[in-house]
Amino acid sequence: MELVARKADLVRELQFFQQIVERKNTIPILANVLLEASGNEVTLLATDLEVALRSRCEAAVGKPGSVTLPAKKFYEVVRSLPDGDVNIETDKGGTTVKVSGGQFSSKMPTLPREDFPSLPEAGGGAKATIKGKSLAQMVAKTQFAITGEDTRYYLNGAQFVLRADSMTFVATDGHRLALVNVNHEGAKGDEIKAILPRKTLAELGRLLADGDVEVKYERGENHLFFEIGPRLLISRMIDGQFPAYEKVIPKGNDKHVEFERDRLTQAVKRVAILSNERSRAVKMVLDKGKVEVTSSSPEFGEAREPIAIEYTGPALTICFNAQYVLDFLAVVETDVVALELKDDVSQAVMKPVGADGYDYTYVIMPMRV
Amino acid sequence: MDAFYASVEQRDNPALRGRPVAVGGDPTTRGVVAAASYEARTFGVRSAIPMSRAVRLCPSLVIVRPDFQKYRAVSQQVFALFREVTPLVEPLSLDEAYLDVTANSWGEPLGVTVARRLKDAIKETTRLTASAGVAPNKFLAKIASGWKKPDGLTVVAPERVELFLKGLPVDALWGVGPVTAAKLREHGIDKLTDVRTRSQADLEAVVGSLAPWLIDLAHGRDERRVQPNRPSKSSSSERTYATDLSGMSEIRQEIDKMARDVAAWLQKRGITARTVTIKVRYSDFTTVTRSHSTPLLTDDADAIAARALALLAKTEAGARPVRLLGVGVHNLDTDEDEAPSAELKLPFS
Repeated sequence: MELVARKADLVRELQFFQQIVERKNTIPILANVLLEASGNEVTLLATDLEVALRSRCEAAVGKPGSVTLPAKKFYEVVRSLPDGDVNIETDKGGTTVKVSGGQFSSKMPTLPREDFPSLPEAGGGAKATIKGKSLAQMVAKTQFAITGEDTRYYLNGAQFVLRADSMTFVATDGHRLALVNVNHEGAKGDEIKAILPRKTLAELGRLLADGDVEVKYERGENHLFFEIGPRLLISRMIDGQFPAYEKVIPKGNDKHVEFERDRLTQAVKRVAILSNERSRAVKMVLDKGKVEVTSSSPEFGEAREPIAIEYTGPALTICFNAQYVLDFLAVVETDVVALELKDDVSQAVMKPVGADGYDYTYVIMPMRV
Repeated sequence: MDAFYASVEQRDNPALRGRPVAVGGDPTTRGVVAAASYEARTFGVRSAIPMSRAVRLCPSLVIVRPDFQKYRAVSQQVFALFREVTPLVEPLSLDEAYLDVTANSWGEPLGVTVARRLKDAIKETTRLTASAGVAPNKFLAKIASGWKKPDGLTVVAPERVELFLKGLPVDALWGVGPVTAAKLREHGIDKLTDVRTRSQADLEAVVGSLAPWLIDLAHGRDERRVQPNRPSKSSSSERTYATDLSGMSEIRQEIDKMARDVAAWLQKRGITARTVTIKVRYSDFTTVTRSHSTPLLTDDADAIAARALALLAKTEAGARPVRLLGVGVHNLDTDEDEAPSAELKLPFS
């Protein structure tokens, strides 16, 4: 294989592969990216067997063929090269690959192309076209609520539901739940439901970061396919039943408070500095016309900051994990957010006020005071 | 944890540091010492002795009333640290536990490293010291943990078990109190390894059913696993009737009364519950249970009775004659799984 590609093109594509390749290198080939050169382009491919990414960029192909290269080092090398052309060429004997540019030249070990896993093929499944901007928005507003290493494997992802006229993403870690609904101008029969792994959401977030694109979505038997411009993201689906989340979204929260988002964010951030490091508990003490955000811990002392609000209901003290509140505040764009409460032990709801084109509900379980 | 209650008090009140402190009851009544600081121990003050005697042993003793809520909170912090390392945590008390760290979340190959890191984490989180024993089984680990205190770390590696056993007096064993130890000494058994020289029958004559256990330990054998499963705490009240009940008002009355009994049980202990369960056994012995959970903890008799009665409507009690009725409460606020974190869970089911 022999090809010449522009550095900028290669770097732009290779960066998307960095989070895909296996870190813990249990199967050596999974640390590599597969390059296949033919026609006037080179196709790049990497997978960790859960998520796979295929992309391509323009290239002048001298000899068609394929090689695999360690994804991290290959990226680092290409990125450090001066702007201009990058030469990639299989060495004699086929155990190393020459990568050169400017005055720089290098040889890197390669692993046999045959070792590279074959990927599931799209085709035949339910299909839909989604607005990239909507998908990016749903990912950003839910991915932080996915649980870490949970034995309830079906919580290690977000549920994606696509209907003819709307799309839903929902994620929960058992203490909070993020649910976002976006309008969708689709066709009848678009209904698709799947649980997407955390890694898929993170990668979608990266792939959708630049510009508004159309995403072609397809559901295979065990995999989901997202075609985003020249790139194809393939994700395993999490097999399992997502919990009946509608049940935990409270209906009767009769205490309604609105905050300026920035004001609340700053107050919670400041007060949380002196909260218990482990629990990160901050209290919100509601009373007529104000809420006081407070924290205290035996080690660090205590902090408080009042915020004037419109509130005429009964006094109420409720305690939250500050991180949960900040996670929500970090992803909403509206100037005003609402907090709806029932009492100090039931689910609280946070919502953006005046959100345009989407509906976002964030349910948080309080902490015991 | 070292001198746990006393250390917590000394931590929180600088005036107590460096002074002999006993946590416990009133010396003028029948209070006993629940915990003694190391300063107090040099005077011979130990836990479980009457406070009046403690004061005689150490006239400068500072007596502090126990604040179990505080100790429990600290205990929860410590147990949360344990459970970060392994789910196999068997609590012995508020401040003592067995941990099986054969597999641990830190991926540490050596038990001693796990112990060292845990001790550090405990110190960092609670500003208190703990002593640890690392050994191939529970009995040896328990003894090792008390070998050096405070802030001790004793390791009994498998190849050193024999040497370790040879140095043990017989009363170093857990479960061998002064009375049993005295009996054994009368029979020339001073050291644990002396047990090996006697037949089981001889030993049984001295210590009864303790003999097989003692023989195992004398050989360093202890196959007991670390048992992380704590029995789930709950309370219930039930009654079987001499003649089957079929009158609805009578059945409701019984359920109401039992619900109030369990509420009283909760109130007496100052605890609250999330789940109310009822049990109905029909005359043909088929038994059904119905339960209702809320995120709200309660010990309110009216609320619990109302929920129990609502559950009754979900059974065929009355339509079918009933021979047994029961009401129970579960998911108490003392359940330890909930306790380390005050974070409530979304009520998915």
